[in-house]
Amino acid sequence: MRTPLLWLLWTVLTLAGAAAVGAAVFIGGDRTPMLLGETTGVHHQFETACESCHGAEPLSSTEDALDALNESCRTCHDEELKLSDDSHPRKKFRDPRMADYWAKLDARACTTCHIEHEPEITRPGAVTLAMDYCIACHADGEQDVRAERESHAGLGFETCASAGCHNFHDNRALYEDFLVKHADDPWLLDPPVAANAAALRAPDARFAKPVGEPLTLARAEAPAAVLARFPQQELAAWAASAHAETGVNCAACHAPRAKDEAALAAEWSDAFDLKACAKCHRNQAQSWTEGRHGMAFHKDVANPRKLDKQLKSLGLAGLEEDLPAAIRAWLDDPAPAPQMTVAAARIPMKAEAGHAVLSCASCHDPHAPERAPARVETCAGCHDDDHTKAYFGSRHHELYLAELAGEGPPGSGVGCADCHMPKVEDPASGRVFTTHNPNAYLRPNEKMIRPVCMDCHGLGFAIDALADPALAANNFKGRPAVHVPGIDWAARRVTTGEAARQ
Amino acid sequence: MPAHKIKLAAAVVAAGVAVPAMAADGIAPQKVADMLHAVMNSDRTVYTRLVVNRLANKEGVIKASEHFEDDKALPLPAQMFRFGAEMVADQTEEFTYSLLSLWPVNKQNAPKTDAEKEGLEYVAENVGENWYGEEELGGQTYFTAVYADTGVAEACVSCHNEHKDSPRTDFELGDVMGGVVIRIPIDG
Repeated sequence: MRTPLLWLLWTVLTLAGAAAVGAAVFIGGDRTPMLLGETTGVHHQFETACESCHGAEPLSSTEDALDALNESCRTCHDEELKLSDDSHPRKKFRDPRMADYWAKLDARACTTCHIEHEPEITRPGAVTLAMDYCIACHADGEQDVRAERESHAGLGFETCASAGCHNFHDNRALYEDFLVKHADDPWLLDPPVAANAAALRAPDARFAKPVGEPLTLARAEAPAAVLARFPQQELAAWAASAHAETGVNCAACHAPRAKDEAALAAEWSDAFDLKACAKCHRNQAQSWTEGRHGMAFHKDVANPRKLDKQLKSLGLAGLEEDLPAAIRAWLDDPAPAPQMTVAAARIPMKAEAGHAVLSCASCHDPHAPERAPARVETCAGCHDDDHTKAYFGSRHHELYLAELAGEGPPGSGVGCADCHMPKVEDPASGRVFTTHNPNAYLRPNEKMIRPVCMDCHGLGFAIDALADPALAANNFKGRPAVHVPGIDWAARRVTTGEAARQ
Repeated sequence: MPAHKIKLAAAVVAAGVAVPAMAADGIAPQKVADMLHAVMNSDRTVYTRLVVNRLANKEGVIKASEHFEDDKALPLPAQMFRFGAEMVADQTEEFTYSLLSLWPVNKQNAPKTDAEKEGLEYVAENVGENWYGEEELGGQTYFTAVYADTGVAEACVSCHNEHKDSPRTDFELGDVMGGVVIRIPIDG
């Protein structure tokens, strides 16, 4: 009598389990239990929005699914690769003359070298290959690097991607002619000043033109009830702020759609919509969503699945109305957290900041009269790793304090943001702005050399400093203990006519 | 003759006329390659003579450099050619083309396939002639054409002769310096 019952139980449980998995895959609901393995550093912020990467139709062929996957990589990463003058762009490998290489290492696809959900084999740069992968194409005949360069004769392929030598994608600071051009740079340039930073810190340089007339409190455009909440000196402080000075009034951020006084009171929100900042500070807002601070807001992260749409696509339109509320709630896609909390970070953070969510207001006070933007104290308010802790008391910190006190020239101070959020040029408009994507120049760290280090330091010194992990960890207290010989080899190749002999 | 055999014979004759007629609707790959090459060659010659040679060599107002953005210089003619080929690859799979050489400054522009090697050697030794052939790459058969690429301006030969990575430094104006390779996928 027991056995048929057990069979029945087993059947029911199996079907229920299959239905649950099927519902999560095709309809909606929390897919966290289905994650195969820990995702990489920033992808984890949207790891349950699977469609961000897996955009192929359900039940597509493997080939189509891989194509869709690679296309989604390019959606987010293509622009950055183009800006980095990619040394191994996809277009290089599309030509049929590269067909022999496709079998060895198919560089037409990002997924050949970068596979998600495989934390056991993931190295820095999200690379999931053995580190001597260069051997696939650079070890035979005329392409054999060891024969083409005397200096490389005895080197192993696992050392190609060593710090300061070669990157697969971004070699803007490492290409041979650049090394030769800067081979004789002194370790410290004269003057050691970041020109872009100095320009942006000039008193009137920050605003291309005022949005409107400077505001007085009378024209602040906030309901009287709101203004009454604040002490007089705070309101006066706001009136002296940069926003007031350029005619950005209260309503612009707190009731952007209000058209008259009545609407102003009705639509007033103490919390402001981040889109309000983005309206004027477009470059900053967009770059912020491209880094780890604002990734949850990235425009290409998939939206939560809507139950009614999913059911309709399965030919079950209207079914959601017949489902009990409990099932409906269970099938609801949990949105990726709209704002990342500090506690969710994967690097050491201060415990007391754990609850804080990240937004523009985390680092900027739009009401403050001071123009000095957040460069050090706000970062150190959350970040608690060795590098951050070691910053205080470093030579860069001394220069930062000197510049703030007016003892150092503008652009000579080096705060956290000076290295990690450098002033760069918007390729579309040519205007210089502070990138709000601290990850754009972080790994491989040679990406930092040109927009940051070379403002003050020579190329060779910068390469050596970044190649010394102990020096980077203690925030550059001292001189580099390593020397990357590539710059010497490149210079020697020219001066001895070695190139001509080969 | 029985009726069905007359019908059969008529059908065969009709097919014999129709099939060549259908093939004659397309243009032979060799002709297509020749037409494409005429355009590619002319455009790059114009760029080399009227832009690079004139401004960099004659007038000396700007340099031409491989790192044209960093050096605020003109792109090299070979790069102008390659950028065009990459743009074409974004738009169509009907053909691909590249500029190769037996004496390349950049080793990745050395011939890779047997057809490329044979073609480049042929056009270097038989001045004025083109090389045509077929090859199979990545499971697809291609009609491959190789055309001689000559040094049409002083800018070509002087830059290559002086470049630290050039394997040959005795080019003269009018010498064959490499070859344009055009590939058109065909049914094998």
